[in-house]
Amino acid sequence: MKQIVGVADMKVSNNPGESIITYSLGSCIGLVIYDPAVKVGGILHYMLPDSSIDKQKAAARPYMFADSGIPRLFKTAYQLGAAKQRMKVYVAGGAEILDQQGFFNIGKRNYMALKKMFFKNKVMISAQDVGGNVNRTVRIEIATGDIYVKTSGSGEVKI
Amino acid sequence: MISLQTLVAEVKNLQPIPAVAGQLLAVAEHPDSSMADIARVIQYDPVITAGVLRTCNSAYFGMKNPVESIKDAVNLLGIDQVIELALLKSGSQALGGSQKGYGMDEGDMWRYSVSSAVLAKQVAVRLGLKGKNTIFTAALIKDMGKIVLEKYVADAAKKITDLVENQHFSFQEAEKKALGIDHAELGAMIAKIWKFSPRMVNIIRHHHLSDETKIADKQIAAVYLADCLSMMLGNGVGADGLAYRFKDQVMKHLGISAVDMSMIIADFGINMQEVETLLQMA
Repeated sequence: MKQIVGVADMKVSNNPGESIITYSLGSCIGLVIYDPAVKVGGILHYMLPDSSIDKQKAAARPYMFADSGIPRLFKTAYQLGAAKQRMKVYVAGGAEILDQQGFFNIGKRNYMALKKMFFKNKVMISAQDVGGNVNRTVRIEIATGDIYVKTSGSGEVKI
Repeated sequence: MISLQTLVAEVKNLQPIPAVAGQLLAVAEHPDSSMADIARVIQYDPVITAGVLRTCNSAYFGMKNPVESIKDAVNLLGIDQVIELALLKSGSQALGGSQKGYGMDEGDMWRYSVSSAVLAKQVAVRLGLKGKNTIFTAALIKDMGKIVLEKYVADAAKKITDLVENQHFSFQEAEKKALGIDHAELGAMIAKIWKFSPRMVNIIRHHHLSDETKIADKQIAAVYLADCLSMMLGNGVGADGLAYRFKDQVMKHLGISAVDMSMIIADFGINMQEVETLLQMA
């Protein structure tokens, strides 16, 4: 079965019959985590770096923001038996428009927000496909932990 | 290079956007029009009327009693919502297919177009701009040039990709260089042949703001911004991806800060269910 993660959404699974997918990331980030020992994996699709711009929206839709979504993704995986030290971490998305700079570059800011949190919490990124001007879709198979990235207009590639 | 004659012939073969869209815009943007005037224009087209009523009766709007006429719909949802639904429905057939040359599967262009239109409405409301139905519609149909251009883009894919990836061209600049015309110019030509207003033709022509003197036109700037936001959100974005130019000076001119931009994205995230409902109109 295919579980679809919408925009500003998250899914975590330990069902080996499932794959989890999130479409069309653009400047958004698709954060994929997987613990191979217990075969628990999940994807978070967040849109913006920082929930401080609108606390009310962050309360209603915590998966919209990096700072409110990322901790929830990890905690939900822990509840299914995953452990931080075994976790594989993959990042996709964070694309930018040509000449998009500074604070307007939300793709880059989305990625930097994640890097900052990971640095603080000592989380390593196993692999990533971020930045550039392309639109990506990312998918994980729970049974194997295999991760595939598809760029609009091209085929799916295993990372 | 493609001859203009060939393109005009191809445009004439397209399933056009129904004339009612142009009439509806003219009535909707006229200050003296009444609700009855607007309802009359919509009712004139049975396909659009049926589409609007079907969407009004979808679970999203949660109506207790079935909506059976445009008049009911106006009373229950308000005139603005009904105008938007009718404009969307009028574009759904033309924009519903696949555009393989742009790596867009069936429905991708429709997703991208509806997202752009919803974002354009948010931008227009946030900035208090005049002509919000025109802005909404322009954002919806701005990429229709791609419908005709896609097979030429497919034929020139190697050259276009090289220009974008290795020579710092935007996708639009690469189209122009490889084919002699880009999708914005062709879209404007289609709009003209389909007898849209000169205003609409102008917005479509300049929706990527390659001519920077157009920045002063707030309707064009708003549609441009909505297009940038739609690209960033990725919904229905094809192989051209985000390879278009971002212009800081547009944001300055519109008075849009990076925080405003984030707020518009957040609002869109909250309204995703509305967008999903609107997509069902195709």
